[in-house]
Amino acid sequence: MSRVRPASVWLARLGVAAIFLGACVAKIRDPAAFALAVNRYRILPGEFVNLVALVLPWIELTTGLAVLAAPARLRAAGAALIAAMLAVFTIAISLNLVRGIEASCGCFSTRADAAVSDGWNLVRNGALIWLALATYLDAVRRAFPRRAPEAP
Amino acid sequence: MTGGASALRRGDALRLAGAAAALLAVSAALGLAANVLRPAATRLPWTSDWAHHVENLAFRAGVPVTFLEGARTRVGSTNGITFDARIPEQYAAGHLPGALNLPLEDVERQLVAHAARLHLDTPVLVYCGGADCTDALELALKLRSLGFTDLTLYPGGYAEWVQYGGATRAGDAP
Repeated sequence: MSRVRPASVWLARLGVAAIFLGACVAKIRDPAAFALAVNRYRILPGEFVNLVALVLPWIELTTGLAVLAAPARLRAAGAALIAAMLAVFTIAISLNLVRGIEASCGCFSTRADAAVSDGWNLVRNGALIWLALATYLDAVRRAFPRRAPEAP
Repeated sequence: MTGGASALRRGDALRLAGAAAALLAVSAALGLAANVLRPAATRLPWTSDWAHHVENLAFRAGVPVTFLEGARTRVGSTNGITFDARIPEQYAAGHLPGALNLPLEDVERQLVAHAARLHLDTPVLVYCGGADCTDALELALKLRSLGFTDLTLYPGGYAEWVQYGGATRAGDAP
């Protein structure tokens, strides 16, 4: 990781932050529509669907801000949470694809005419996980310099 | 990633976990506070009866569901038939192009009128007023009990179709 140019890390941070800050807007504006999108994954018990729909967009907002502008420790935590969220999102989208459910992923839009999920969503999430991990490793190295993590 | 995480000392890992917990706590507080401060009309209840939402009822009953994009594709296709499960007055006021009216009462008798167009393996799309009605799901279950094998529910129904600018037809004809 120490060989990664700072400009590359900055681009990764900007990319991850922009995606997550952009993704949270529609969900915060219309939590009822986002709750329907959450329900369509049929992963959560019904009792938790609304709570997740209310809180998840704000996690996207705070982690996006942390990755963009926070000190290194908070930035590392934000990047780790983003990578974890992306992993969960990817599994959830994969489940719907396997089940043949023609639903939008609810990632950026809660509109009924949003594009239906497909394999492209998985590729995009894979790339975002890679960027989030690069951001995490750089932030950890800066936050805890005594024992820096090695390059993957 | 694994190497990076394992290289953290215990104290550093705890500090990192604390920062993550702080982000989650702030997010939860903001999300819940925003909902409380939202106008009542757009406020989301803390819990809803999702178990009885029509999409989940259909999922448990094994009735495939499609959403707006899928409905547009099916309605525009000549390979299949669309049934509107609402009452005749609502159908006459406006329905999806090509849809036939098939309210729940006396389905068998009404199907005879469409017999020339129908086979048991004909792709059938059913809808009703919107996500709050279950007539279309009940119609799908009825049709399945009569032997139809290719049934799909459009839970968004007429309300969503109109909301997103879909073309409609008025009157008694499809």
